[in-house]
Amino acid sequence: MSSEVTLPELAALMKKAAGVTVDPHDLEARIDTPFAEFGLDSLGLLGIVGELENRHARALPTDAEKCKTPRDFLDLVNSTLTAGA
Amino acid sequence: MSAQPNHRTAITGLGVIAPNGLQTETYWKSVEEGLSVLDRITREGCGHLPLRVAGEVRGFDPAAFIEETFLVQTDRFSHFAMAAASAALKDAGLSDAATDSPYSVGVVTAAGSGGGEFGQRELQKLWGQGSRFVGPYQSIAWFYAASTGQISIRSGFKGPCGVVASDEAGGLDAIAHAARTVRRGTDVVVAGAAEAPLAPYSMACQLGYPELSTVEDPARAYLPFTSAACGFVPAEGGAVLIVEDLDRARRRGADVRATVAGHTATFTGASRWDRSREGLAQAIRGALDEAGCAPEEIDVVFADAMGVPEADRAEALALADALGPHGTRVPVTAPKTGIGRSYCGAPLLDVAAAVMAMEEGRIPPTPNVFDICHDIDLVTSTARPAELSTALILSRGLMGSNAALVLRRDPGPAAR
Amino acid sequence: MTRRVAVTGIGVVAPGGIGVPAFWDLLSSGRTATRGITLFDPEGLRSRIAAECDFDPLAHGLDPGLVERADRYIQFAVVAAAEAVADCGIDFGAEDPWRVAVSLGSAVGGTTRLEHDYVLVSERGQRWDVDHRAAGPQLHRAFSPSTLASDVAEHFGAQGPVQTVSTGCTSGLDAVGYGFHTIEEGRADICIAGASDSPISPITMACFDAIRATSPNNDDPEHASRPFDAHRDGFVMGEGSAVLVLEELEHARARGAHVYCEIRGYATFGNAYHMTGLTSEGLEMARAIDTALGQARLDPSLIDYVNAHGSGTRQNDRHETAAVKRSLGAHAYDTPMSSIKSMVGHSLGAIGAIEVVACVLALAHQVVPPTANYETPDPECDLDYVPRTARPRKLAHVLSVGSGFGGFQSAVLLTGQAGRKR
Repeated sequence: MSSEVTLPELAALMKKAAGVTVDPHDLEARIDTPFAEFGLDSLGLLGIVGELENRHARALPTDAEKCKTPRDFLDLVNSTLTAGA
Repeated sequence: MSAQPNHRTAITGLGVIAPNGLQTETYWKSVEEGLSVLDRITREGCGHLPLRVAGEVRGFDPAAFIEETFLVQTDRFSHFAMAAASAALKDAGLSDAATDSPYSVGVVTAAGSGGGEFGQRELQKLWGQGSRFVGPYQSIAWFYAASTGQISIRSGFKGPCGVVASDEAGGLDAIAHAARTVRRGTDVVVAGAAEAPLAPYSMACQLGYPELSTVEDPARAYLPFTSAACGFVPAEGGAVLIVEDLDRARRRGADVRATVAGHTATFTGASRWDRSREGLAQAIRGALDEAGCAPEEIDVVFADAMGVPEADRAEALALADALGPHGTRVPVTAPKTGIGRSYCGAPLLDVAAAVMAMEEGRIPPTPNVFDICHDIDLVTSTARPAELSTALILSRGLMGSNAALVLRRDPGPAAR
Repeated sequence: MTRRVAVTGIGVVAPGGIGVPAFWDLLSSGRTATRGITLFDPEGLRSRIAAECDFDPLAHGLDPGLVERADRYIQFAVVAAAEAVADCGIDFGAEDPWRVAVSLGSAVGGTTRLEHDYVLVSERGQRWDVDHRAAGPQLHRAFSPSTLASDVAEHFGAQGPVQTVSTGCTSGLDAVGYGFHTIEEGRADICIAGASDSPISPITMACFDAIRATSPNNDDPEHASRPFDAHRDGFVMGEGSAVLVLEELEHARARGAHVYCEIRGYATFGNAYHMTGLTSEGLEMARAIDTALGQARLDPSLIDYVNAHGSGTRQNDRHETAAVKRSLGAHAYDTPMSSIKSMVGHSLGAIGAIEVVACVLALAHQVVPPTANYETPDPECDLDYVPRTARPRKLAHVLSVGSGFGGFQSAVLLTGQAGRKR
């Protein structure tokens, strides 16, 4: 499994974990827009963190669920997942 | 409550999600026609259990009623409650969204089984895969307060919020709780109950109830007040009402569908059906007293109709005890024999039917039931036309609660 | 004529000791009862600590039949109720049973048994189509939340309105509030009111793990519950029960009863904001406090103590501080406000009732219980949290407040002997 989380993957996770429908292109265009504006709340982001942790069988930093925007989140998650596995 | 008899409360909206109708009108049509929808349970993973027949809500597409962000974090029981609440608000001519005075609207629900299907799914993740697979919504979907919280949040209602998890009779307690909340100064309370107990593990839990009917023929599974009574059939669904200050309802020109006149709850012990006779009689007397209503004024009784011989006998005798000679003459009905008992939702469905029976002047029949072995005038086969001004709704719970609620038709402001 | 509501009996089952004397000893000493979980193997959980009750039901007088039949949370409630009933001195056999009510709260009810039997019928989570034959004989009782109030009513012969209240973590306050209303409105003269929960089980711990609400400070459980402290990192799960005998004041006076205090106000509102999230403003909790004070026609400046929800999560303690400041104004800075969850943990639906009993005892002893483990101030929480040591103080009017999942915000107002109108 590739360890990078992509924008389409994040969009799919937002749908699955929080019922938030967002087009991946839209997510890319608004990558610095707060999650809240997409309709994703703290529990939804926690659900995504849990899903990623289980998929990759490793813990993400405790700050992951506090990320405010898709860019912050992807940066943090991917730097963790790609750092010396 | 009786200390403020002038401060009356109205029912201004109804919303129903029932096995025999996903809208109030279709529900009433089925009830009025005496249709029975008791049938084989088709929910996934339930087919092998020795409980085969229930009142299942079919064709309910939650996505047609509720936003996806709410759907992912809620159980089916809350889907029913949210959908019914929306319908009730619409019926009452109130906005589904936050009002300009959010504290003027409260929410109270009764709950008897919680988010069982959601809970089972998360238990399966915990024990099948590990604690890290439990999702963040288990903490808010399984517990009994989920529906009240979600209705409040979805519509922006900040008034008093409550949850009475009190047996089937708790459904009537929720209406009384709403009426008291209105009397204490809240304009409107969204009040109701809906249940979804037909998931495999929830059904395994219910199999322990000695009162549960496991008869496999839908036409014979739930026959209260007959010599073939063999217990009750469970069901899904329920109803939500809009309970509102009567004067306020009139001022805004709302359609006052009925008034909440009196209620009393008593307790006589779990499965002590012989003792429920005095419990029900006491509840009826209390409700009549609060309503300022003579026994003869009761035009129709919606019976609890447990379907257990001792319980049926106790209910018939309680009517005679509390209503005197009128108890054997007043028409009695139990539409739930065609629907099943959706725990706290069951008396709510009876209240909805009672409101419409008074409006239409027709007492709905008791499906599947014919040869009565008690001295009551049970309406069977077809609806009976009648001028109805006052209805008595009875409910009992498996854990020992009894409750009686008196509803009146609103004679209109001129008649006050 | 308004009917007044007195507290004439109290009972408690809490971590750190069973019964009122042990409970008060713990609170007034500032000791903590939090420790590593022993009720099950918490391996794999993020939070593996809790405040557990060392509870032997037979030693506390329960008969073996009830112990066999009733879940742990119901056993707690029966023991707490028995203490309260003995304390109040009412001869229940001589009372009209239709005038005796029960109002008991629980957030998660029978989930511990529900989970236990689930493991059996599902072959440890392997099958959706469960095998009901593997279930225990009491499972149906765990399925119904009303079993709590039903069992207690049966035990004490109550035949009036019998309710289980389940509003998440405000269940305890709301159950006391509903009981207060039941008597005030004339639907009963006596009410056995309180709450119980025994949520220390894998599913409930995993639930709160999943939303990072509980403290992961597994290495130092005694100091893990740190309400209002800058280093707080979540709540510590607890368990227990508290029960009060509420009685119409004239009924209590007529029999010459000892009256601990009166319940003067109760209100609850929803925040309509989020199932678990709280705003930083605390508007709705403030409104609950204001409404309870309004019912008693009491000026906010007369409040002598606030028993906080103080769960020890980042957002709760900030929210609550804001709410109390909004209601009490400048007087908030002169009003001690403490969280006993620092000592007995957060027993979900039960804790509200346990905290009301703590308020009753604070009034009786004229002592404010402390917030244990409070060391480092948080700039966002700048009130007087009564750090670590109980404080003698003249107390007439006290508030107990709580927040619960679902967005519920509740407040109960108590007035002791010093503030009582004759």
